Amino acid sequence: MKRFALAGNPNCGKTTLFNSLTGSTAHVGNWPGVTVDKRDGVYKKCPEPVAIVDLPGIYSLSPYTPEEVIARNYLLDEKPDCVINIVDATNLERNLYLTTQILEIDVPMVIALNMMDAVEKAGDKIDAKELEKRLGVPVVKISALKEEGLRELMDKAWNESKKVRMGTTVLQDTALIHLVGDVKIALEGQKVKNPLFHAVKLVEGDEIERKMHAETVNMVEAFKKTFHDNVFGNDFEALVADARYQYISGHFAPVVTRKNTDRFRMSASDKADKVLTHKIWGIPIFLVILFAIFHLTFSEDLLFLGRIFSLPTLEDLGLMAVNADGELEAIHYGVRWLACVYDGAVMSPGVILNNVWNDMLVGELFGWLKDIIAGSGMQEWAIGLLSDGIIEGIGAVLSFLPPILTLFLFFSILEDSGYMARIAFILDRMFRRFGLSGRAFMPMIMGFGCSVPAMINTRTLADDQERTATIRVIPFFSCGAKLPILTAVAGAIVAGAGIGNADLITYSMYLLGIVVAILSVLLMRSTTLKGETPPFIMELPSYHAPQLKNLTAHLWDKAKHFIKKAFTIIFASTIVIWILTHFSFGWQFLADEEIDQSILANISMLVQPVFTPLGFGSQLKAFGWVFVLAAITGLIAKENVIATFGVLAACIAGAALDDPDGSGIPYVLAMITETGITVPALISFIAFNMTTIPCFAAVGTAKAELQNKKRYRFTLLFWIVTSYLVATAIYTIGTAWWTAFLWAGAIAAVIAFLAVRNGKRA
Amino acid sequence: MLPEIILIVVCAAVIVGVLISFVIRKKKGKCSCDCGGDCPHCAGCVSGRKTDEISKK
Repeated sequence: MKRFALAGNPNCGKTTLFNSLTGSTAHVGNWPGVTVDKRDGVYKKCPEPVAIVDLPGIYSLSPYTPEEVIARNYLLDEKPDCVINIVDATNLERNLYLTTQILEIDVPMVIALNMMDAVEKAGDKIDAKELEKRLGVPVVKISALKEEGLRELMDKAWNESKKVRMGTTVLQDTALIHLVGDVKIALEGQKVKNPLFHAVKLVEGDEIERKMHAETVNMVEAFKKTFHDNVFGNDFEALVADARYQYISGHFAPVVTRKNTDRFRMSASDKADKVLTHKIWGIPIFLVILFAIFHLTFSEDLLFLGRIFSLPTLEDLGLMAVNADGELEAIHYGVRWLACVYDGAVMSPGVILNNVWNDMLVGELFGWLKDIIAGSGMQEWAIGLLSDGIIEGIGAVLSFLPPILTLFLFFSILEDSGYMARIAFILDRMFRRFGLSGRAFMPMIMGFGCSVPAMINTRTLADDQERTATIRVIPFFSCGAKLPILTAVAGAIVAGAGIGNADLITYSMYLLGIVVAILSVLLMRSTTLKGETPPFIMELPSYHAPQLKNLTAHLWDKAKHFIKKAFTIIFASTIVIWILTHFSFGWQFLADEEIDQSILANISMLVQPVFTPLGFGSQLKAFGWVFVLAAITGLIAKENVIATFGVLAACIAGAALDDPDGSGIPYVLAMITETGITVPALISFIAFNMTTIPCFAAVGTAKAELQNKKRYRFTLLFWIVTSYLVATAIYTIGTAWWTAFLWAGAIAAVIAFLAVRNGKRA
Repeated sequence: MLPEIILIVVCAAVIVGVLISFVIRKKKGKCSCDCGGDCPHCAGCVSGRKTDEISKK
């Protein structure tokens, strides 16, 4: 099978083209550096199926970061049958810099002028025929997003793949060509493949080339001594780069006809950036946008209209009445639907979706299933396992699908619109002071979705120390799996203690994660992971309306994976948890009220005293060990925390768990009532789970990405210590406010110690 | 007693199945993250497998 490689600058639309050609749903983000590893797919409309390889974006073939090495090595070593060089037509000159380097490789090549729809919309024109003539390789106008011109592109690539193409260089008309020619002849003598490419790179002084052709370096250096440039002296890298740009602006730029020739005209994106990336207002605007997202996802009082106008509840309107059991009930089925949207306040979209899902769909379905099981005549233990164990456990986790999808819809909109890239830019100013560049913030933002791809994305960071620090703090950016913990505990705090708003608590916990990350980075970069903060250069993509196709693909993947996980890992975990909490060490079956003597209860109680400073240890009443057990099961998958509550809540609440809305909140409420846990301890519990060792998958990824056993072990220790300290601080400050001074003093002492220590060493 | 036996068998099958799939995935170098299959690692696995299958045909 023939292999075509997609190569181009970051954020030029390679993955969009890859998805369009192969029907894949690979992650597409409107910021540079989304793809950090190559991936393959198959295009079936050529005479034979063709393997399409999507390579990470690169600005040149002189790599600095691991993902750039992947792209370069693939083009040179894997010998694809054709390279499809995707060029962002809206930034032709800069994109052609890479093209001039790929041209030097002995490989068939086709240029895809992508984003032609945007060029035409701006009223500009590109003479593709003329460009083709000047480059010497086929040029095809396409729009990967609108899937225009793809057939022609692939037909041309197919035809080119049958030909043999020798490398050409744009340095042909420069004084450098003699030097390059001499080195090329020497390399040809050594039977080196792609001699022209390697010759140019050796002249540039490329580090990888110098290592690869160590025996030739001295000869090249001798050749170079015979050459001197009046402007650049002996800086051959700058000389070659300048020669390439000179050629591009002289030969290729004229193929573009711009409607507006004012080079300093501000585009709509530039105008928006004047506000959104403002050096003072940028961060407050970001915090407001983030709060708006949480408000739209979790608030039961949209825009605080209920409080502002004192709107009547459904009971006030006579639509709810007390039934024979003394419970408030809708007088009509339709009112139940209305209650999903309004009850004394208009609900936010996330809460409406949540109510419909839990009250009208899953709640009904699971209630119906539990009725069937209860009437099945099976033995008590079997009913308990099925009803309280499996259904409650999976149901507790599945009940959080709507808020997860709503939150990720908003995050996807931020990403697809191009604002996410701005956040990295805005935070660079702040992060730089703490030893991280804004580039490191992109993987951290990805951590809001899942720590695993976020840790993999740290490959875009060139500095090893910075990369390690970033991997360590990524789990502090609360991922989707931690959202059920946040939502359930925050909801229970609001419902049980009647304080605060669920959206505000959830938002604060997300911010807490960011603050802990900043403080941790500050500490690491001042001690064990010292190093220069690399300069941050990132091309800001243009703002555009989020693509429905991308949004639905993101959400579908998220939902699919969440449901799949609920019915595999969580399903298995609920069975194990139920069995180990209903059997003693003597393997005697225990009734619900006896689970304090179970295997897991005994193990958890053994560890429980360790968590006393955190507020959910020995100070809790009977069943307090459940919080410790939940934290431990969360190490397998964070959803297990709520699944554990789901499995055990009915037992602990005496099999009389009132769960009218089907959401996970009542499970936590039952725990609060039975264990006597306080609000500070609950917040400490959230913080502990947010900052402690992440799930198995993330731990495995960290191990693979750190590639150093000592660093990996230290990372595990770092997560344990950080979570312990953060949770203890929250509990002690929440319980006795004056301890805040002690903590502040301790932090100040650490900072002062570091400053003095670093000062002495400097 | 039959439903209880079926329940025990199904539960055991689920637990064993999840454990075996975890071990197999790990051996094949695949992860079980929350990315929804779109992270570089998972996408590489999924698309790579498809390519291999078509290539064999």
